[in-house]
Amino acid sequence: MAEYLNLTPEAAVRAVIQDILGLGADQVSGFTAETELFGALPELDSMAVAGLLTELEDRLDIMIEDEEIDGELFETFGNLVAFAEMKVAA
Amino acid sequence: MTATLDYSGYKFKGYDELCLRAGTGHQQTILFIPPLFDEMNRMRRMIVDVMRLLDKGGVGSILPDLPGTNESIFPQEGANLTIWKEALLSCSLTDKRYVASFRGGCLLDNFADESCNQIVEKWRFAPAKGSSLLRTMMRTRIASDKEAGVVTNMTNLSAEAERGNVNLAGNAIGSAMFAELKTAIPAQSTNIRTVQLANNSQAADAKLPGSALWLRAEPDDDTILSAAIADDILAWVAV
Repeated sequence: MAEYLNLTPEAAVRAVIQDILGLGADQVSGFTAETELFGALPELDSMAVAGLLTELEDRLDIMIEDEEIDGELFETFGNLVAFAEMKVAA
Repeated sequence: MTATLDYSGYKFKGYDELCLRAGTGHQQTILFIPPLFDEMNRMRRMIVDVMRLLDKGGVGSILPDLPGTNESIFPQEGANLTIWKEALLSCSLTDKRYVASFRGGCLLDNFADESCNQIVEKWRFAPAKGSSLLRTMMRTRIASDKEAGVVTNMTNLSAEAERGNVNLAGNAIGSAMFAELKTAIPAQSTNIRTVQLANNSQAADAKLPGSALWLRAEPDDDTILSAAIADDILAWVAV
């Protein structure tokens, strides 16, 4: 097996968003904490959000419960990263 | 890419199931196990590109429809992981020496382990746990229910699945399928080569460039990924 690289929660969120939107790494590297997500990016619909949550669970080895998910979570890139960091630290 | 594709088929429980083939004249034929549920639709184009590239590289491949998926008229609610493994075993168009599986397809690649003595060499792309596939489908169902003003949660859906079929993200999931997916993980074995995407930190034998097409809203191709996969598979069968 190749080396086990631990990505930071932020890097994982960035990678998953990049894959969902089909963007280049350079485009997603411009995302800041204030970058708006749900509602601002048409590709990020509720179906894509379902995939995003599971992918983050797999990549960060966390479990996200139904009741932890609310609209605010997907408002901005910063909110999503903060949530991922909180789950990883828990 | 101009390599030739053609169709063949296999019989399973009275149904005619379709197989897409590339490079039928070559000495080696790799059995491809597709991703499951709608991930299959999102990745099929990329997988077919891999098949064309393998043909150019002198290796044949075959991509069967799993019963109840793609063109199959097998009742979807009657499908489950056990039935899919039986179907792969009955698809006799390859010697099953080399099996390459994608995402949820990796849950099926041990289909020949118990029933024949041949060594099955397994190649896996971004293997998915059954529970992950199930959670995404349940989340999709919960989201669409919410838009319709109905409150559902995973506990309710699990209870519903124990009583009968449950519709998850457009898939008719029978009780057996639901129960199998909850616990299914890719089987352990010694002769496995696992590849992951470069931006994924999970352990792998190789990291390939490209993007996670299964997360996209629409099916797409990824020529960087299909070329990297074809190269990796050609090197794998050449050893």
